[in-house]
Amino acid sequence: MTIRHHPDDATLVAYAAGAVTEGISLVLAAHLELCPRCREHVRDATELGGALLAGLDPAPLADGALTAALARIDREPQAKHTRRPRHRPADGLPGTLAPWFPAGLARVPWRTLAPGVKHFRFPGVDSGAGTVRLLSIAPGTALPHHGHGGSELTLVLRGSFVDEIGRFAAGDLAELDPSIQHQPVADTDLPCICLVATDARLRFSGVLGRLFQPLVGI
Amino acid sequence: MTYAASRPEQEAQTGMAPPPELADWLAAVAQHGDRQSFARLFQWFAPRIKRYMQRLGADPDLAEDLAQETLVQVWRKAGQFDSSRAPSAWVFTIARNLRIDRLRRQRLYEVELTEEADAEDEQGDGHQRVLDRLDAGRLPDLVGALPAEQVEVIRLAYFEGLSHGEVGKALDLPLGTVKSRLRLALTKLRSAMRVEP
Repeated sequence: MTIRHHPDDATLVAYAAGAVTEGISLVLAAHLELCPRCREHVRDATELGGALLAGLDPAPLADGALTAALARIDREPQAKHTRRPRHRPADGLPGTLAPWFPAGLARVPWRTLAPGVKHFRFPGVDSGAGTVRLLSIAPGTALPHHGHGGSELTLVLRGSFVDEIGRFAAGDLAELDPSIQHQPVADTDLPCICLVATDARLRFSGVLGRLFQPLVGI
Repeated sequence: MTYAASRPEQEAQTGMAPPPELADWLAAVAQHGDRQSFARLFQWFAPRIKRYMQRLGADPDLAEDLAQETLVQVWRKAGQFDSSRAPSAWVFTIARNLRIDRLRRQRLYEVELTEEADAEDEQGDGHQRVLDRLDAGRLPDLVGALPAEQVEVIRLAYFEGLSHGEVGKALDLPLGTVKSRLRLALTKLRSAMRVEP
């Protein structure tokens, strides 16, 4: 897998800082699983977080704080010396997403959103005013032209799409900010399956878009 | 919102490097549950984490509680610490995740970021490479050397937990400017952190 499109470094910094929504973090984690380059950038942004923490002015603790902490660790068993394994992507499905799709991408409980477009909304992921969903776009189908109230991150898991920005294939992440309007079209013989998170409502333009808006229901 | 522009000046002394013993104390906690080393880690980290939590909106009691809980997690998870990384970065992730959980009632989805895991990568996409070694000990000085306008957006992201859009509103800056400052800061730090081979 050759990844050509990455998240903005500013977004990776926000992720490391813990300043993105849960839904956005889900898409970024899935991309990170596939992308050594972005893992390295997040690692560096995390080191920055450590340096900033170290540079903070210490706040005085309550009397007896250490004694209380020592009493607590007496009751806490230490975890084994293990490293959290990174899931290996199977079937184009990053391990981050595996809990929702035990039978893989072949058996997603899709709901039809519009002709040629199916979606699955992730239960139990809090995206604030935005959403996080899996989209399946049938070959040749174009999504309505739309813009964004906030950011939209799209990770391609299978197939590919083209829009005004470029061509996006498996592993690529398309990041759009509010200034960009786009109309993605699935451009291969396979449905394009992608993971999409927004942190605010989408804005559709045109007649088709206005019809689409209530269906999207965000 | 009034995020006073005076903050970067008040906290300009980012050059405060953490004591080099932090990694040894963590190792002693991991290997034989050394309580004295834990106490030293606690005394160094807990007051800073308390400040971090207060900056992110916790009242002093809650901040104290979260600082204590962060250190209890450090005790419990010490065996997972990867010694190729900076101890303060690892502790930062524990504190960050705890504040997302308690203050925002959300979670941050994560993947393993360590170098060893990369070496095992079998994607065959040409990315199997020895990662550059970071000279993380120099990072505090490097942060101090960044332009004030970049430090300002970094602090709002890390210590106020603000999204790019919110940072833009707080500083009355266009979104594109917020992002380009963050991008520039990371690029500059990344190149400066890497030791010549």
